[in-house]
Amino acid sequence: MAQGKRQVMESMFPVIELVVIILACVELCGAATVVDVYRLIQYDIAGVPFGSRLAALNHHAASTHFPPGSDLSRTVLIIPFRDLNISFVKEYISQRQPLGGLLFLLPQIFSYENKDGIGRNHQDHEREQIKNVLAELEQLLVHSNIPYPVYFAFEDSDIEAVLADIKRNDVTGQPATATTGGYKLVVSVPEPRKVASPTITNIQGWLPGLKSDGDNQLPTIAIVASYDTFGAAPALSVGSDSNGSGVVALLEIARLFSLLYSNPKTRGRYNLLFGLTSGGPYNYNGTHKWLRSFDQRLRESIDYAICLNSVGSWDNELWIHVSKPPENAYIKQIFEGFSNVAEELAFKVGLKHKKINISNPRVAWEHEQFSRMRVTAATISELSVAPELLERTGGLVDSRVFTNETAIIRSVKLIAESLVRHIYGHQEKETVTFADNSSLAVNPFYIRSWLDFLSRTPRVAPFMSKNDPLVLALQKELEEHTHEVSLQHEVLDGMFTFYDSSKARLNIYQVASVTFDLLLLLVLGSYLIVLFSFLVITTRGLDDLISIFRRPPSRKVKTA
Amino acid sequence: MTMFHFFNCAILTFGPHAVYYSATPLSEYDTLGTSIKAAIVYLGTALVKLVCLATFLKVSETDSFDPYQELLKALIGFVDVAGLYFALTQLTHRNISQNHKFQAVGLGWAFADSVLHRLAPLWVGARGLEFTWDYILQGLEANANLVLSISLAALGSLMWLRKNKPKTLIPIIYLCAGIVATMPSITSYLRRGLGWHLPKVVGFELFTSLVMAFISWQLFSACQRPST
Repeated sequence: MAQGKRQVMESMFPVIELVVIILACVELCGAATVVDVYRLIQYDIAGVPFGSRLAALNHHAASTHFPPGSDLSRTVLIIPFRDLNISFVKEYISQRQPLGGLLFLLPQIFSYENKDGIGRNHQDHEREQIKNVLAELEQLLVHSNIPYPVYFAFEDSDIEAVLADIKRNDVTGQPATATTGGYKLVVSVPEPRKVASPTITNIQGWLPGLKSDGDNQLPTIAIVASYDTFGAAPALSVGSDSNGSGVVALLEIARLFSLLYSNPKTRGRYNLLFGLTSGGPYNYNGTHKWLRSFDQRLRESIDYAICLNSVGSWDNELWIHVSKPPENAYIKQIFEGFSNVAEELAFKVGLKHKKINISNPRVAWEHEQFSRMRVTAATISELSVAPELLERTGGLVDSRVFTNETAIIRSVKLIAESLVRHIYGHQEKETVTFADNSSLAVNPFYIRSWLDFLSRTPRVAPFMSKNDPLVLALQKELEEHTHEVSLQHEVLDGMFTFYDSSKARLNIYQVASVTFDLLLLLVLGSYLIVLFSFLVITTRGLDDLISIFRRPPSRKVKTA
Repeated sequence: MTMFHFFNCAILTFGPHAVYYSATPLSEYDTLGTSIKAAIVYLGTALVKLVCLATFLKVSETDSFDPYQELLKALIGFVDVAGLYFALTQLTHRNISQNHKFQAVGLGWAFADSVLHRLAPLWVGARGLEFTWDYILQGLEANANLVLSISLAALGSLMWLRKNKPKTLIPIIYLCAGIVATMPSITSYLRRGLGWHLPKVVGFELFTSLVMAFISWQLFSACQRPST
């Protein structure tokens, strides 16, 4: 009998357990608003920490109109772009004021998912202003060590409504805390971990020249562009101009020359080497490793290398940066070739010389890595001054809306024509090989589609795996135009360390204060007591109600 | 803090039932068994209604008021009334006066209704961080439902258990019973057809439940006079 009972009980246990687990696992109810947020990058340079050091967030929200003097160590400040005051943020960060977190709201034009084209009708000077302010903010954040989470989000109607509500509460002088209710921002992600062995991948492709008998080794011309980016929000660093424009120009040049080289009658007597390198923002680490992997003969056979860096948003002037002095014969020849073509295309080309300092690890231009290996090289760029470390590396402000495909088309024309004249030895001016409406015309649709694609793909190298779809896509595209495409996987130099967790979902809850629930409890308690008394009175009479509360009369009196 | 809110809403939803039981003479006469039996009958009718609804109703995409569908739902709602009839007449009760029987049945009925319809949303929703007024309104609705159930049980007991009723009152009794029985259809019409928001609907329910309770109390005492 007892055994049977026990068996029944035992069979009930799993059911009971299951019920308990289900009841306990029911998630906290969904938030009113859920927003995609992107975290500020977290990295170390030689052990020195930079960026935002935390990822998880669970605090009340406040706006910039918070009452002065209030304690914000457990609050998240939401700063929309139009309320952004750089000096205020700078002060806050440099004075290391305690803060629960920061949330920046960016205008929609910077979103690469902005398919509705919101904000495209801003005036040009407005856009320039927005760009400058954001660039300043980005530089400030990237070079500071911030001990709390910093996130970026895009403005949309939900979050605007929440922010308006928060502002209203703040103006009345009541900061949101546990006792007063308000909005709570929750991001639940695990602690960020180091990215172990970040890989950088270099992609190269060859277009071999026409070898006639008696030629041992044909000279080579290299065309190189770095394709990775770095920015304040790695999930948003699409680097449309820096260096998406360079990559697109390289691909188009490869396509044009593959057409020329496909027919042995029009194949030139130069090999062409195309290189898409990674590790650009980190002193062109990838280029350095790529060059080191060449053997001596190959390196010596390179006549010169052209590096492309940001050719997507210029109007009238391009710059050629060199490290050999301008009096050098090779440099003179290269520069003359370019400036002749530029004159025909109705814009200017300038020459800038910057000496390299071998003892300084800072490599400002890609051609400097070539020069350190004693290969003549030059960088073609719209920038006239070398950018600082981690500056102009395709961050927040570098979005598609600021990049101009016409500029890229003109750059391609410049480089392709100059190369052709050098390779085929054309002396006469005015021979245009890549004329519009010819079979060798520069294809604007090709450029536009690749530029659009790259402007939608964040490309921060440590967060890209060996088989990243972008790397495979670039490899496939190079295989279309060139031969012997190979990948080289390397590990990024130990000086830079990166931490993961760059994208998350933010839950915004509207919470009621504890005082509200206490009040509610009081009201309910009194309601139930009133209901009880009412029912007792109507059904049993008033005497019964009083008798419930009166103690029974003491019996001690009787014993007396 | 959110468990606190859940606790508050729970006592708003289920507290009045417990208070009703302990405050009125029901607790003295130990009518708990009757209430439990009524709750089980409610469960049975709910299942039958579910099957009927699943078989006969088609799922509408929009949230608008479709009179034909609502009529069908109202007809199925009368299964409720049948269940109440069963609970009042067929279950063998111990010697409880009629007065207490309908109260116990109504109480058990309302308690089962609250548990089935309101406990799960409360458990899932009120414990979260996000605050809404919905659960408090749901609790008020549960209160209105309690009053309505007891009135319906009272009218039901008048219709089926009392043999000698004054002739003039009979149509009024049936009319009131009809109104109370079709309350769900009326509220759904208000919500969908007229587009009333939840607070307004709950307010309407509370008001009508008090009015119907008063009317049925008057009818009950009117019917009771000849026998005393």
